[in-house]
Amino acid sequence: MTGTIARKEILSNLLSYKFYVVILLAAALVATSFFVMTRDYKERLADYGLIRPKPGEPIAVNPPNPLSIFAKGLDEAMARSFEVGPTGISVRAGQKSGNTVFAFFPTPDFLYIVRVVLSLIALLFGFDQVSREKEAGTLRQMLANQTSRSAILIGKWAGNFLSLAVPFLLVTTLGTAVLGLDPDIRFSADQVLRLALILVLTLVYIAVFLSLGILVSTLTRRASSSVVILLFIWAVLVFILPNLGTLVARQMVDVPSVRALSEKRQQVWTREVLLRIRGVGDWPSHIKTISAENDALEADYRVKFDRLVKLSKNINRISPVAGFVYAATEIAGTGIGEEGAFKSEVVRYKNAVLGKRLASPDLKSSDYPAFLYRYRPLGRVLTRGALFDTAWLAVCGILFFALSYFVFVRYDVR
Amino acid sequence: MIRTIVRKEILGNILSFRFVVTLALLLIVVPVTTFVLTNDYLKKVADASLRQSEIETYLRSYGHFNRIGNILKAAQPPISFNTLVRGLSADVNMAEFDDDPLPVMFPLVDLVFVVAILMSLVALIFAYDAVSGEKEDGTLKLMLANGLARPKVVLAKVAGGAVTLLVPFLMSLIVGLLVILVHPGVDWKAADWGALGLITLGTVLYVMLFYALGVFISARHHASSASIMTSLLVWVLLVLVVPSLSPYIASFLSPTPSRIQVEREAERLGDTERDDLGRKLEAERMRELVARYPVLNERLSEADQKRLMVRDPAARAAFEAATKAKQGAWDEANRVQGDKIDAVRRAAAQKEEAQTELARTISMVSPLSVFTYLATDLSSTGLRNEAYFGRISGVWDREFWDYAQKKIADLQAKDPATDWWNTAVDMSDRPRFEYREEAFGGRIQAALPGFLLLLGYGLVFFVLAYVSFLKYDVR
Repeated sequence: MTGTIARKEILSNLLSYKFYVVILLAAALVATSFFVMTRDYKERLADYGLIRPKPGEPIAVNPPNPLSIFAKGLDEAMARSFEVGPTGISVRAGQKSGNTVFAFFPTPDFLYIVRVVLSLIALLFGFDQVSREKEAGTLRQMLANQTSRSAILIGKWAGNFLSLAVPFLLVTTLGTAVLGLDPDIRFSADQVLRLALILVLTLVYIAVFLSLGILVSTLTRRASSSVVILLFIWAVLVFILPNLGTLVARQMVDVPSVRALSEKRQQVWTREVLLRIRGVGDWPSHIKTISAENDALEADYRVKFDRLVKLSKNINRISPVAGFVYAATEIAGTGIGEEGAFKSEVVRYKNAVLGKRLASPDLKSSDYPAFLYRYRPLGRVLTRGALFDTAWLAVCGILFFALSYFVFVRYDVR
Repeated sequence: MIRTIVRKEILGNILSFRFVVTLALLLIVVPVTTFVLTNDYLKKVADASLRQSEIETYLRSYGHFNRIGNILKAAQPPISFNTLVRGLSADVNMAEFDDDPLPVMFPLVDLVFVVAILMSLVALIFAYDAVSGEKEDGTLKLMLANGLARPKVVLAKVAGGAVTLLVPFLMSLIVGLLVILVHPGVDWKAADWGALGLITLGTVLYVMLFYALGVFISARHHASSASIMTSLLVWVLLVLVVPSLSPYIASFLSPTPSRIQVEREAERLGDTERDDLGRKLEAERMRELVARYPVLNERLSEADQKRLMVRDPAARAAFEAATKAKQGAWDEANRVQGDKIDAVRRAAAQKEEAQTELARTISMVSPLSVFTYLATDLSSTGLRNEAYFGRISGVWDREFWDYAQKKIADLQAKDPATDWWNTAVDMSDRPRFEYREEAFGGRIQAALPGFLLLLGYGLVFFVLAYVSFLKYDVR
């Protein structure tokens, strides 16, 4: 019976105005996003080609991550060049700094389209599932036919999920295949696996919002009130909660401002240079002081910042949207955790270079070890939070569906 | 008659479920946002003064002119309007090692965000069934059967709807302002209130525009269920997609060389190419000199040269001319290449500016961007303030370097033996950078086109709604 209802749902979706408009919009957006982000990735790749250190140069640069086409996250911060000079690390930022309009609006990557647009579409598929059939009077007839309520609900869920997921997966895989044909973009096997995981995560995310839509639909008598409630919930979950959560966390954790840190770094090295000119101590000991003080600043900042990240993550996780973003960016290797790991690797590299330089002062500038960042393996990424976020997302979905079942069992179909 | 319909619209809306939810949501979100932003602002003020005192402490013992540029930099202080609008002030700071990536993941909420996203959505939620809903209920037929002119109906609907939308917004804003005013640490000046007034005016235009758009869409549909669908799609495109895509489209249409590429080119021009040119010029000039002074052709060691110069005034003149020619050749090379580097940088900056301007223009297809620019410019947290800050910090920079030159000259006159550039100096009489917000008149002038554009969009949507409603089949 469930199968029949699912079939009916799919067919009725296929014939509806809503379905075509919505699917066309989603397809157009996903395609545009792929196009735009691919260009962005290639531009950054070209920059990487320019700044890639020659063998032996003490520069730490990580190539842009091809998965940033899907989830840009912090990839731009990770693809900067960190040059180890005599007194520390000097940073060269990417190219986006020129056009300030970038800073005003969020990046239109795949993740953004899914997070904002696809969640809305999933709600639109779910919002009138029960109330519309009630208004049309078909719900009564179905139940009079001795169809069980659970069969109806499951059938509806499955039918709508499939009519959302199948076209979406088609568009995405097609887009990814086109990307795969591009000679400049090479995915490793590990990255393909990560991409597959992100797609699975996306399906779970869609399921959560579809279930939420059905839940509100069972709670309301009329489709028009259901849609209004859902839009408010959606706005709160997608826009308000995750964006406000970070600000709230900042109230509770004291983190030195970025500017204060960079000013302190400047003060440390100019002070040491002056002391050296005055003839206090020898140069290697000054370099050691600068390096040690900068590392202390960095370590102190890291501890506090990690506390802030943890708190803001936990506050933001009230909304499943934030959990989705965290999990997807971490899996793509562009998340906050990966950026932190990368930074500590850069600091370690700097210390290795400085150590070598102090040990043999007449070293040529081309004899340094090369920097190579290995992304954290997928297993570690999953155990360090991504799995938790995925599970939390799934729990939300199951919870919404279970609730809608309990409400639907008592639903007055007259 | 119009007044009756407006009254009816307002009453109908106020009693509706969506009004209650909107009011509750705004009454929570706006005060919480202002509360959080106010605390954030106070923290930033404390941080700024702490940083300032640390710089003062540093300067007392280690302030030397050679590296002072790294220590004394003009910095944008927090401004009191940051309690409502964050603008571009996010601490991402990609040019430093310790950046703060949190705002990259989730943009932070402020008043502009609440209005731009939430209020536009709410306006469409209120308007989507303004025409089609009444048709479904059958009340539209009855109204028009009563000899009521259609223009009056649509005018009253837009007016009534906009009023009911603005009431919850203004209420929540007042509560939010109370939060700010209660804080003793926040000092709002007349210009801030003026800016807030104008931003509220912009909000009114913005909300009415979306309401008119909703009525227009509603008047194109006969079922509310289809009308909400179209409204949401249009909203997604206008509010979420167009602004985000615009800088990328602009970078596609008007590409700029990447900053890294420009820097590499500048390095090449100033390094290898300069050396080549310098050597070439030197060789050319030396050839002329050698023709005149054959002594230069002899390969002499430095010691021999010196000896010869003492002995023979003609040789002395020759060597001095050679040194001068060499110096002249390298100066020339430096000048030529310096001009080239300037040209490359200037061309890149011009291209960046053109791209930014194009991105701005494209994004203005969306009323959200128009409103965002308008509000951030008025509150001096936007693009205009960035340019303004660049100008005033440039003025301070020059002032400071004039001061530095003079101070060094004075010290050198007193004690020529010391290397004053690399000695700690008392700089307490230095010119200090003081940020003052741009005059309010300039900000209004910058925001004026935005207001006109919002008004224009609103009028277009209203006319469309009007025309569609005139032709609407009410049966």
